[in-house]
Amino acid sequence: MKQQIQLRVNGEVYETAVEPWKTLLQVIREDIGLTGTKENCNMGECGACTVLIDGKPINSCLTLAVEAQGKDILTIEGLGRDGELHPVQQAFIEHGAIQCGFCTPGLILSAKALLDKNPQPSEAEVRRAISGNLCRCTGYTKIIEAILAASKKEGK
Amino acid sequence: MDKISYRHLPRFDHLESKTIEEACSLLSEYKGRAKVIAGGTDLLPAMRNQEVTPAYIINVRSIPNLDYIHYTDAEGLKIGALATLYDIESSPIIREKFAMVADAASKIGTPQVRNMGTIGGNLCNAAPSADTAPPLIGLEAKAKINGPNGERVIALEEFFIGPGENALQADEILTEIQIPNPPPHTRGVYLKLPARTMVDLAVVGVAVVVTLDDKERSIVDAKIVLGAVAPTPVRARQAEDIIKSKAISRELIEKAAEAAAGEAKPISDLRGSASYRKKMVNTLTKRAIRQVTALA
Repeated sequence: MKQQIQLRVNGEVYETAVEPWKTLLQVIREDIGLTGTKENCNMGECGACTVLIDGKPINSCLTLAVEAQGKDILTIEGLGRDGELHPVQQAFIEHGAIQCGFCTPGLILSAKALLDKNPQPSEAEVRRAISGNLCRCTGYTKIIEAILAASKKEGK
Repeated sequence: MDKISYRHLPRFDHLESKTIEEACSLLSEYKGRAKVIAGGTDLLPAMRNQEVTPAYIINVRSIPNLDYIHYTDAEGLKIGALATLYDIESSPIIREKFAMVADAASKIGTPQVRNMGTIGGNLCNAAPSADTAPPLIGLEAKAKINGPNGERVIALEEFFIGPGENALQADEILTEIQIPNPPPHTRGVYLKLPARTMVDLAVVGVAVVVTLDDKERSIVDAKIVLGAVAPTPVRARQAEDIIKSKAISRELIEKAAEAAAGEAKPISDLRGSASYRKKMVNTLTKRAIRQVTALA
């Protein structure tokens, strides 16, 4: 039943044997051991499982692991190199956009995907870009502030 | 409504299809025990609720070149069934020439879901509230269907049989949506009333497409399509007849909106009561007709 698959996550290739009914979320967390991506609603409604595939935010809980081969997958662990945080991560800390932190990995990836495509978004565009990431703690104000601040910092 | 959602998906065999023919032949071989997967945004949640438990899942996203968006002046728009909702929402040609279709796609789910979900999936899932359906039906779209015996093309209006039921045979797949170029002076709008935020399913969806005369004072032709208020998306034909071949006036629009509300056959569910939905059909139909005629 198990299939040998190769997944390219954060630039590294992982080989693992999985059953067809395993989701990318499960494989990232349980087989590869990257637990920054969170399991929550399992229905594609909350965004806690958000990872970037080929630069686009997707719900890893709705992606079969066997179908994620041959793609570039970015999890939250792939941001920030050599101890240096990504500007969005830094902005989240500086602006108090993190409380319990559960929504944070998915949110940061959605924000990064937005800024990579649209470096100077309006507030409305930020709100729309994070509309698939629910946060129960913060009320979103600081999150939006942080993303706008990060966009000004990166401002090229 | 006792729905248990399990963390894990039920077991299945996963098969890849590289061509349309392969997909159809696999569907034929495993008739009744197989489901097609494209974006997975409707299928996987349904499997977690154990609403569907296919023994075989056939991946059609592995079929190359089915996600195109092609426009020609002669034949209008052709959209491959695997085009994602994001592809449609952001396509320059759709935004320019068929804006209400891009708008409807943009109103579905979340950015993540739109990156994964396909137009084929939205239509084949055949939810009464499917947001891409009313605008496409209003534009007289056709559905191209491929099976082991070849292909057929039917009016999209005939594609929906009941809640969650489409016109595909067990061994067929939807491959293309065709939208003819509308006549000049044609305008359309799709209004969606969500339960709370746009991420939700439509409580009521109304698409209005009107063709105006040269002076843009009267309505030559009209299509009014209602979503989420009947077992399938439905045309409000009586409402259409009220405004067709008439000069535009406030009273006319109100009469049409009232007729549309009468033609809606909504149920009461957790998103809204039947009587509320009927009222909202009235409101949204009025708003939509005003929007497409006031632009004159």
